[in-house]
Amino acid sequence: MKTEEALSIARQLVEEWEFKTKTERPEPNRLDVALTTVDDLIPIVVGLRVTRLGYLAAITGLDLGPDEGDLEILYHFCTAAAVITLRIRVPRQDASVPSLTEIIPSAEAFERELREMFGVEVIGLRNKMRLYLPDDLPEDIFPMRKDVSDQEISQAVTLQEI
Amino acid sequence: MSEVGKRESFTIPIGPQHPALKEPEHFLISVDGEIVTDAVVRLGYAHRGIEKAVESRTWVQSLYMLERICGICSHIHAMAYCLGVEQLAGVEVPPRAQAIRVLVAELERIHSHLLWFGVSAHEAGFDTLFMYTWRDREKVMDLLEGFSGNRVNYSVNVLGGVKFDIDDAQAIAIREAVSFLEERTHHYLDVVTKDTMFLQRTRGIGVMTRSQAEVLGTVGPTARASNVYREIRVEAPYAAYDKYPVKIILDNRGDLEARFVVRLTELFESYRIILEILETLPDGDLTTRIPRRIKAGETVSRVEAPRGELFYFIKSNGSDTPERIRARTPTICNMMSVMKLLVGHQLADVPMILAGIDPCFSCNDRMVALNRGRNKEQLLTWEALRQYGIDYYKRRSD
Amino acid sequence: MGSTTIKDVLISLTALLIFPGGLFLLLVSLAYEWVDRKLLARMQNRVGPRWFQPMADTIKLLAKEEIVPDAVDASLFIGLPIVALAGVLTAAIYMPFPGLPPIGSFPGDLIVTVFLLSLVTICLGLAGANTLDRFSLVGATRTLTQLFAYEAPFLLALLGPAFVARSWEISEIISYTDGRWLLITQPFGFIVAVIGLIGKLEIPPLDAPEAETEIVAGALTEYSGRGLALFRLAKGVALVLGLTLIAAFYLGGVATPLLFLVKTLALLLVIVGIHALFTRLRIDQTVGLWWKYGTLLVLVQWLGIIIWQGVMI
Repeated sequence: MKTEEALSIARQLVEEWEFKTKTERPEPNRLDVALTTVDDLIPIVVGLRVTRLGYLAAITGLDLGPDEGDLEILYHFCTAAAVITLRIRVPRQDASVPSLTEIIPSAEAFERELREMFGVEVIGLRNKMRLYLPDDLPEDIFPMRKDVSDQEISQAVTLQEI
Repeated sequence: MSEVGKRESFTIPIGPQHPALKEPEHFLISVDGEIVTDAVVRLGYAHRGIEKAVESRTWVQSLYMLERICGICSHIHAMAYCLGVEQLAGVEVPPRAQAIRVLVAELERIHSHLLWFGVSAHEAGFDTLFMYTWRDREKVMDLLEGFSGNRVNYSVNVLGGVKFDIDDAQAIAIREAVSFLEERTHHYLDVVTKDTMFLQRTRGIGVMTRSQAEVLGTVGPTARASNVYREIRVEAPYAAYDKYPVKIILDNRGDLEARFVVRLTELFESYRIILEILETLPDGDLTTRIPRRIKAGETVSRVEAPRGELFYFIKSNGSDTPERIRARTPTICNMMSVMKLLVGHQLADVPMILAGIDPCFSCNDRMVALNRGRNKEQLLTWEALRQYGIDYYKRRSD
Repeated sequence: MGSTTIKDVLISLTALLIFPGGLFLLLVSLAYEWVDRKLLARMQNRVGPRWFQPMADTIKLLAKEEIVPDAVDASLFIGLPIVALAGVLTAAIYMPFPGLPPIGSFPGDLIVTVFLLSLVTICLGLAGANTLDRFSLVGATRTLTQLFAYEAPFLLALLGPAFVARSWEISEIISYTDGRWLLITQPFGFIVAVIGLIGKLEIPPLDAPEAETEIVAGALTEYSGRGLALFRLAKGVALVLGLTLIAAFYLGGVATPLLFLVKTLALLLVIVGIHALFTRLRIDQTVGLWWKYGTLLVLVQWLGIIIWQGVMI
């Protein structure tokens, strides 16, 4: 499937249906879809999957900082050169998104990472074991958040008895 | 044995320290007799917190940081990052630099594939093949060393171009090595497709169908061995790949043998591209100026690493440090597929299937923070750490 | 034979402990181990160890602390390597070891010898099963599985020469085979015997019981120091004795030390070649190989011998 074709199919999908989204083309090969409600995520992902655009390349977490008060979660779907990004903003306190693992099993690793690094609760994720972080790191430290400093992380992992 | 009689879950740990894995990773394989019933992976033993660390470093420092995500495919990480940053800055890189980037990327692919080939042969207990491939791999390592001064982490890229130029003597050396390797690769391809004993360990083992490969989100040669059309060099040519088009190598069998064949056949493409670049290397500058502060914005940079698609998401806030860099390495995609593939196979096939995706655990573990060893030095002086060690063992022995 | 003098006892003790059994045998086994490693290294395009490396390894291991893990039967853990080594050293008594006639001999000593050689494998299996280590347990299971796979064909392959020599006494068999290359009349038996030896000693490609990429060191994972050294020595001695037996039975006998050296080393070269050339077999493939082909080949061989004997009579 060619890049342009993929982008136009995706655009159709999100614009013609009843989703409350805002799309833009920041770069020729990219389509950014900003979702206004979390509820739209699953239907759109199903739509992408049905139209064979459902290769989830990555899930990226972005911390917009304590001032902004939000986290942004980016779902990158790639087809040929096209990158379709679904963007969701969730509040830093009590951040949660639904899990994609029922539709895309490979999302598990990305969601586990998102959960432990950014403190985003992933609803419906079965395996909530830590993937990368050491077991003795306190549960309430999310290292990739902007307000967590390197020093703080180092101190959290104090020298412990083996 | 009793464990079979009781039908209890009998788990075999592979890693973090295990002779099959030269890198630290922990797999917990549950077996019933010799048959695998479940497989769990725990990552994170090689965590260095690179993604967090680059947020407090400048764009240039980050380049060297990211290059050290992986020792085997260091160039491709740096290249993905450079391409992304150049895209954000709106800088046009001279064609000669792009061609040299591709040349080094292909040399790196050769050494990575040969390395993997040797390791897989070792996993199968075929050490002779392992020794031979690694001997041949030295040819590429020598080239890279002669070219950049380093065997790994060659640091060819700079933001806006490359550091090293290819002169005639090097071109001759590369041609010689490539023709030698081409001949050897023909031989190896023969071995993996004709050696009956080797085929017993690869043919029909670890089969992943096309739809499985798609659903499980595999990338790179692992996906292409299952006939999934996924190759960034073809689908979205970057750097100089639009001038040196690549032929995609597919196989529809999806077993270990197919993965061997795909990777080895890919080598021929690499040889061809290298020779083509040497023939038609454009003249011109090696670098172009790039601003210290990168314009605010976001970009996605995707390249084809030896192990599959490498995905970089780069966000700049207009300052001289990156706001966020997300590196999604190919191994993490393939790793999850392998955990599902293992079930139902013999324990003896586990190392082979694991090796079949060419896992790179350091890549896997790039993310956040917490190299305990290093962070300790920030908290404690060396002397204090030493004292701690002495006290610790004293307490233990009491 | 009431007139056993001190001199006789001394001669027997020397034969048992110093030459040709005992110390001399151990040294020869270390030398063969070096040849094995060096040849393999050269075939794999490596440099390989220097001549004293196996001996240095053994001395180092013997000098190291032997760690007895928790939850094992300590006496069994320590005793098994000793039994294994004692077993193979005893087997040497009935062998034409460095090209000399066997020191001891009685009718049926072939069976005893083969049993003593198997003792190493059984000890290995028990040693693995004795620990709680998961690699050891899997290794032990595989060791014993492999034992049951190769043992019968291996024994049958060795009984082929015994059958034509019409004796189960090693000294009589070798006096029959001296100068007669049974390799030519019983080729299948020879092949099965060589591969049987490879299986017995867990040399690749039949090293599934100690496949390092899966189960570390198999049954020996928990062994260190002296126990490991003794097991290694036992295996080395078993290799030399196995080579001797096959060379004596199939390659026209080992009447002089020179013939012994030439024939066993040639055989070792074959084994190293097989080691270098092939991929490790899975345990199910190993068992399949033995019961599907190994046993069948030997039985065909036997049938041939019986018919031939019938024709001759």
